Amino acid sequence: MKQLCFRSLSFSYPSPDGSRVSHSTRWERARDAMTPGLADIDIGLEQAELALVAGTSGSGKSTLLRCVNGLVPHSSGGVLVGEVVVASRSTVRNKPRDLADLVGFVHQDPEAHFVVDRVEGDIAFSLENLGTEPDTMRRRVEEVLDALDIARLRHRSPASLSGGERQRCAIASALAVGPAVLVLDEPTSQLDPQGAEDVIGAVVRLNQDLGTTVLMAEHRLERVAAFADRALLMGGGRVVGDGDPTAVLADYPGAPPVTRLGRLLGWDPPPLTVKGALSHLRREPDAVPVPVDPAGPPPAPAAPGEAIVTAEGLDLRHGKVRVLSDVSFTAKEGEAIAVLGRNGSGKTTLLRTLAGLHRPQKGKVDCLRRASYVPQDPNTLLSAPTVRAELEQTQRLLGRVDHRAVDHWLDRLHLTHLAPRHPRSLSSGERQRVAIAAVAVGGAELLLLDEPTRGMDAESREALRSAITSHVASGGSVVLATHDVELAAGCATTVVVLGEGQIVAAGAGRTVLTGSLFAPQVLRVMPPFLTVDEVRAARTSA
Amino acid sequence: MHELDRLHSVTWACWAAAAALTVEIAPNPVYVVLVISLSAIVVEVHGRDRPLARAFPILLLVGATFGAVKVALTVLTVHGVGDTVVTLPEWTLPRLLGGFSVGGTVELEVILQSAAEALVIVGVMAVFGAFNAVVSHDQLVRALPRSFHEAGLIVTVALAFVPSTMATVRSVQESDRARTGGRIVRRGRLVRLALPILATGLEKAIDLASSMDSRGFGRAAGTRGERLAAWFAAGGLVALAAAVVALIGGSAGLGIALVAAGASLIVLAIFIGSSADNRSRYRPRGLTWSDGAVIVASAAAVIILLVFRSSGIGSLSWDPVPLRFPTVEPVTVAAIALLSAPAAAGPYAEALVLPSTSDEVRA
Repeated sequence: MKQLCFRSLSFSYPSPDGSRVSHSTRWERARDAMTPGLADIDIGLEQAELALVAGTSGSGKSTLLRCVNGLVPHSSGGVLVGEVVVASRSTVRNKPRDLADLVGFVHQDPEAHFVVDRVEGDIAFSLENLGTEPDTMRRRVEEVLDALDIARLRHRSPASLSGGERQRCAIASALAVGPAVLVLDEPTSQLDPQGAEDVIGAVVRLNQDLGTTVLMAEHRLERVAAFADRALLMGGGRVVGDGDPTAVLADYPGAPPVTRLGRLLGWDPPPLTVKGALSHLRREPDAVPVPVDPAGPPPAPAAPGEAIVTAEGLDLRHGKVRVLSDVSFTAKEGEAIAVLGRNGSGKTTLLRTLAGLHRPQKGKVDCLRRASYVPQDPNTLLSAPTVRAELEQTQRLLGRVDHRAVDHWLDRLHLTHLAPRHPRSLSSGERQRVAIAAVAVGGAELLLLDEPTRGMDAESREALRSAITSHVASGGSVVLATHDVELAAGCATTVVVLGEGQIVAAGAGRTVLTGSLFAPQVLRVMPPFLTVDEVRAARTSA
Repeated sequence: MHELDRLHSVTWACWAAAAALTVEIAPNPVYVVLVISLSAIVVEVHGRDRPLARAFPILLLVGATFGAVKVALTVLTVHGVGDTVVTLPEWTLPRLLGGFSVGGTVELEVILQSAAEALVIVGVMAVFGAFNAVVSHDQLVRALPRSFHEAGLIVTVALAFVPSTMATVRSVQESDRARTGGRIVRRGRLVRLALPILATGLEKAIDLASSMDSRGFGRAAGTRGERLAAWFAAGGLVALAAAVVALIGGSAGLGIALVAAGASLIVLAIFIGSSADNRSRYRPRGLTWSDGAVIVASAAAVIILLVFRSSGIGSLSWDPVPLRFPTVEPVTVAAIALLSAPAAAGPYAEALVLPSTSDEVRA
């Protein structure tokens, strides 16, 4: 008996003009529209299976997950053909609230999940709605508090918790009803690495110890691929790959760096973890290309030009908390600086101070050219009806519209095909790229990017990486605050590590990242190479 | 067993009502300042870690702003007797705006009188702010009859949107500034700011709605009992409306009969609706001895002050003519001090049990 079955499922969103048309034309028109739907999905999930849903933004991952408890089509609208059956109950006849005892659904944004202002009460919310007996309810709440290790947070308000804690509380409340299937829609995309580790660890434990069936969408495959029993690869609303993660992800561009490395070196099957890669390497040590220059492989960083912004002895407090202390910082032409550090280490504050949004209590910021800041949350910026208008908006504010620059930035960030879409209809990674383009199109020499890869798929990250590289190559400068070491390894000329508001380490990327516990995967497998691209370049020249 | 909730939401409601009544009964500025400081102490002792905990300073500020506007308007338009502090240029408004004169002489007594009245507003706002900062709104909803549960829950969810919307407003303003590299463009700024705020709020609301739906909210709706309750409630409201017509028309007997019928229908509707609701409740909390003590103390303060007022003792109010410092009597101070009972009932227990949590909040 399958726990969850998709039976020849197809779905299309309502036609954009909203007109009432006959069933078949509406279906055809929606199929031709760019809005992704789902087509011919036939999957069955066994009990206690952990299935990973991978795919680029807009490939239909979210839609697929939202079908499981009937949010699609009951709250999304649109036309659904076929059916989804969860433990012998069909979502066609049952609304999401009637499936609440079978499906635990966790949203991408933990903030959207909470109804009650106390963790314990929020966990009990679903149980109360189901009319569970008070004694059973009490026991269940205690059990899930332990299962997710959040008992000490029980009386706290969700708003006061960190992102990772909040997401674990959301999972606890989905788990409390004892669902047949736990559905997680990119649960770590809004979290820092530590929070993401906690959440993934908790999900894996639930699956392995309690036998909970899990269906999870995730971008950062390096964290979960090793634990998944099965991977479903989505593309254009269809399942294009289904089976063992090693086989399915082998050719996927968004696979973890070690997998891409394995593919490059012809390892079969490509490894999913650093551990797997190292064991391959032990068997065939000859695979390592000799670096062209063993002391430090290419490319040598271009000589930086004049300083664009200098900050000296910055001291800044929020209330009693010292956020920055004695930070000195310079960004020059042709430099891409990655600022790393855990949450609360002062990365965002440093960027905002450079952008002039905070005034330091001590020290000064000298900005010699124009600097623009891209906020962490792109939603605070997007106000135009189309992506193109969003970019033109910035130029209008600055008093000139230069269509060539607009086209240039749309192209740089791979947004050209999205230009006529409404920014709010895009996925979070796509919105992030629109926000970056909308700020960069203003022509500022210094771009300050705050956590730019949150929620981004591999393709978007690659587009961002190449956009940063080319902006820097054309004499600009980029400072990015990020948790994403792979991005830092791919584009930063300089890496700065912050801890408790102080600069802990600063220097060339390779120097700083080597020996770090948070080094990029490729560096851990075959130092001194930082990225797969470097290994490829070394092999071609060797 | 409930270490965290030192006091029940119902207790807090009683305390807040008593404190607000105190301000109304004893508008003497010294007593009002006393109530405001007591509220501040209560917030200090019982404040929670939720975003709404900042309600106290914010509402205090709102009250002070209203008060200042009131003083300014009174001083500009009212002329009384007493010492003239300053003479402003006088200006008569056009007939369309009322035709009265603005400005002229400003008397000290008028300033003091209106400031004392404004202080009462500040006092009421402070009490309301303190109530919101310390109460668990969720528990307040649970204390309501079950038929009001959904309506109450919607109100608390809406309330939770206030702090998050304020945060959005701030970050949208900053993003707008940062987009142009620090240059502020005034033209069309309102639209540019309003659109993202509205769209973000709407997206959050839709996400929350789908999340509540996934978690079984509204699953029990539409049962036979609930439909019956709805009919009873509608009937009760019609009867009450008819009663108003009857009372205006002068037939008191019919009016009173209709009021009785309407009220009993509504009570019946609440009863039927509550028993038809098959939701269960997690850890219901009853009133404890400390709750009882606080309720009794709050009620006592109000009763004592009412007795003082009817017998004309305790210098409850203050008249700035003739000019003098407000009289303060120890008995009244003692009566108002009864409102500090919640602070005496002890602090928010988690702060004692888990001292480490404050560090995490900061992180």
